[in-house]
Amino acid sequence: MSDQSHLSDQDLLRAADGELSPGRSAHVADHLKQCWSCRARQRELEEAIGEFIRLRHRSLDPVVPSVEGPRARLRAELAQMAAAPQGWRARWLARDYAGAALSLATLVVLCVALLHIPGRSQRLHAVPVFVPEPNLTPGAVLRVSREQLCQSAGAKNQAVPVSLQRRVFEEYGIPAAEPRAYEVDYLITPALGGAEDIHNLWPQSYSSTVWNARVKDALEDRLHDLVCDGSVDLATAQHDISSDWISAYKKYFHTDRPLEEAR
Amino acid sequence: MFEDDVIPASILRAKARASSGKSSPLEEEVVTLFDQLRDRLLRYLLSMGLPCSDGEEIVQEVFLALFQHLQLGKSRSNLRAWVFQVAHNLALKQRNASRRDRQNVMDEALLVNGDPNPEDQFAANQRQERLLGVLRALSGQDRRCLSLRAEGLTYREIAQVLNISLGSVSASLTRSLARFARADER
Repeated sequence: MSDQSHLSDQDLLRAADGELSPGRSAHVADHLKQCWSCRARQRELEEAIGEFIRLRHRSLDPVVPSVEGPRARLRAELAQMAAAPQGWRARWLARDYAGAALSLATLVVLCVALLHIPGRSQRLHAVPVFVPEPNLTPGAVLRVSREQLCQSAGAKNQAVPVSLQRRVFEEYGIPAAEPRAYEVDYLITPALGGAEDIHNLWPQSYSSTVWNARVKDALEDRLHDLVCDGSVDLATAQHDISSDWISAYKKYFHTDRPLEEAR
Repeated sequence: MFEDDVIPASILRAKARASSGKSSPLEEEVVTLFDQLRDRLLRYLLSMGLPCSDGEEIVQEVFLALFQHLQLGKSRSNLRAWVFQVAHNLALKQRNASRRDRQNVMDEALLVNGDPNPEDQFAANQRQERLLGVLRALSGQDRRCLSLRAEGLTYREIAQVLNISLGSVSASLTRSLARFARADER
């Protein structure tokens, strides 16, 4: 389109996009009425747009999740912000510094631990995590029915990929954690519809407390059984285990302490 | 594999709270904008090479920031461009924090996130291969201009989001589409 008598690609595109001034737009429209070459060129550009759009939608649309879940999450966050605007400001400002603050907090805890437990500096990584941090691990579930879950009887938790485990350790401020000391556990077990998602994973200490990973495993088995025999609603089980799994254990095992076989 | 259907448990709790109380007009306004723009915004972030989960997080951050923006009585002019601009900046920040290969992120978004069905991949015709080749050869800014235009933004809005001149937007789009149109000639 180097011929001065023809319109430039830029004019053709801007005209099609409604980005020309009224005067220039009228000139382009008049020219197009007379010039087959420019109309053909405009059509070529339109076809290029069409192909790009098709390529884009074919590639990206399948990976865009449904809006319902994110919308509900936004509503919940907005409700919290509306109720506590000052808290929101602090949260926003804290975003960039959250990691540093967590690391600092971890460092303080470690220093205190070192002062009280001499000779354990080689085990700096063994910071026990007893309960999930709600901000880091609120829980996440899949859209599955009770029937689907109960058909796969005896389903065990899938191994969490190592890369995801590392991210969990980092989020909890224990990047050098000894993997054998922890189970990167699902807050809501997949047997109850829990998702393999970082919001549903936390590093649970195996041994540093009576409320350890093995005890929670027992609760997961119990809840799965109760859901499948119809004694407990799936949503209730998901809610209870994600809100406070220790309280849930006490509730469903009718005890204040872990049963011996689970420890 | 779970991302499409994952529901945060906090939502399950929030639903009960939300059903009992009324949200404010400002909250409703933000949710309405979210409904209008969320898919477009997420597609743009995916096309920048972000994983879907990171994109979703950024979209949430953006609309919470929008709520605060409006709550503080700040400008309401062209909120669509504002939303894309904030998302763009957060995405750049996120990408800078990661060690991903920037040169190939668009390719990743289009190829890796594309239909994994081998039959469909075979069915992709030669022209599509050529178009992908053209896309790979574009600069990052040209790809972003195209992507934003594809999501319905005006030239002025694109200029605002990418912090470039109106003329640069026009030249970029024309250059990219001319290359696409020439793809058959190769």
